[in-house]
Amino acid sequence: MFKELYNYRQLLKSNVSKEIRGKYKGSFLGVLWSFVNPLLMTLVYAIVFPFILKSTQPHYVTFIVIAILPWTWFTSVISQGTNTIVVNGGIIKKVYFPREILPISIVTSGLINFLISCLIIAIFLIFSGIGFSFYIVLLPLIVIIQYILQLGLIFITSSIDVYIRDAEYIISFFVSMIFYGTPILYSSSLFPEKVSWLLKLNPLTTIIESYRDIFYYQQLPDLQGLGILFFVSCLILLIGYKIFKKLEKGFAEEL
Amino acid sequence: MKKKQDNEYAMIVDDVSKKFKIYYDKPNTLKERLVFWNKTRLNYHQVLKNINIKIKKGETVALIGVNGSGKSTLLKLMTKIIYPTTGKIITHGKLTSLLELGAGFHPDFTGRENIYFNASIFGLTASEIDKRVQDIIDFSELGEFIDTPVRTYSSGMYMRLAFSVAINVDAEILLIDEILAVGDQHFQDKCFEKLQELKKSDKTIVIVSHSLDAVKKLCDRGIWIYNGEVKKDGNIKKVIDEYLKVCG
Repeated sequence: MFKELYNYRQLLKSNVSKEIRGKYKGSFLGVLWSFVNPLLMTLVYAIVFPFILKSTQPHYVTFIVIAILPWTWFTSVISQGTNTIVVNGGIIKKVYFPREILPISIVTSGLINFLISCLIIAIFLIFSGIGFSFYIVLLPLIVIIQYILQLGLIFITSSIDVYIRDAEYIISFFVSMIFYGTPILYSSSLFPEKVSWLLKLNPLTTIIESYRDIFYYQQLPDLQGLGILFFVSCLILLIGYKIFKKLEKGFAEEL
Repeated sequence: MKKKQDNEYAMIVDDVSKKFKIYYDKPNTLKERLVFWNKTRLNYHQVLKNINIKIKKGETVALIGVNGSGKSTLLKLMTKIIYPTTGKIITHGKLTSLLELGAGFHPDFTGRENIYFNASIFGLTASEIDKRVQDIIDFSELGEFIDTPVRTYSSGMYMRLAFSVAINVDAEILLIDEILAVGDQHFQDKCFEKLQELKKSDKTIVIVSHSLDAVKKLCDRGIWIYNGEVKKDGNIKKVIDEYLKVCG
């Protein structure tokens, strides 16, 4: 598998750049939209929560920016990734290439967007006076776990979507639901004790909390939780890849 | 790569059968799947039956047969776009298919950008494409138009560019589906010459075509597919003679 992907690395590269450049083709701001969008989202929450809901979290804007940027990576990967096979049906029916390139390039182009948007986090950290801590060295670890988890998920969703087109809509519903079930706008400590186990079941909780630990709270993230999540993510990736490989054989016929 | 010499065969088609599902009402959504879960009328259409073909390295093979006999399906199976229902296909060497020219061309990108994108679909790296890009442009005879977006091309120009990319990929096995009719007479002759050149350089070529005169000149071996089965396999002239007796 790796050898074949290596042989097709140029396709992966051009696909990733097509994903990044092609998405906002024809708009004035172009690629900048990938950063303006989450910032506008942040602006809305920054207005709504402190003023209307009287949230007392210090540096609230920074608090949510740190969570919204990884979340944006997640949603864009899931929504684009789920229909990537269907959207590229034209090529799939005509040429052979390793199909896994399509989901991989979605996650990778999202990764590049996210890494650039880390600059936004940095700007907020500086201007809010929070500054940086030594724990930032753990950033790659969290990013890698999120990458693996997302790739595994869209291996599954993208291949199922070919057979059952409803998958897109069902998944987009789940994604908007998970948004509120993940400590993005609030801190997980605000969650009622009784149902906090529910929050812990959500793998994104660990990821978002870890980003917050290293940037905002400047403390060591829950390494045990991250370790378990790493293991689970690898498992999802493995299962997802198997499902993808199995369903892949019918792609050209079903599309 | 190191085992290259050991494998005498470029491709082995081992007892391959292919059935297509034929839905009368294809359930595409969950609702339809649930409501009609056992009502969907499903038929199978057997396209290929127990095909056994061994193609040696350097052979040029023509697949002939009437429309709907399964030639193109067989070619698609060989490229791994679709997979056999039973049996298996083993290939040795880098394979390029010219099934549908210009698949994956992006209309807003220029000809040159599309060369890079298209060639990367065939599995070439940037430096390999750099080396070939001038050959490809020369062969396509597009000249200055190479730097304008592909959507402004005429259909002939489009096909010429697509063919030039595919033919210059340097694959060891080339699968071609009825594309000897690209562009004007001049370009067709040029394509034919290029194929003959590739044949001499020991590439394995499999062609599906209805232009019997052309394949007679180009190929050594003919395989006549009739109703999803190999009816005759052997010297191209004999196979074509037999074929014309029945279907001509």
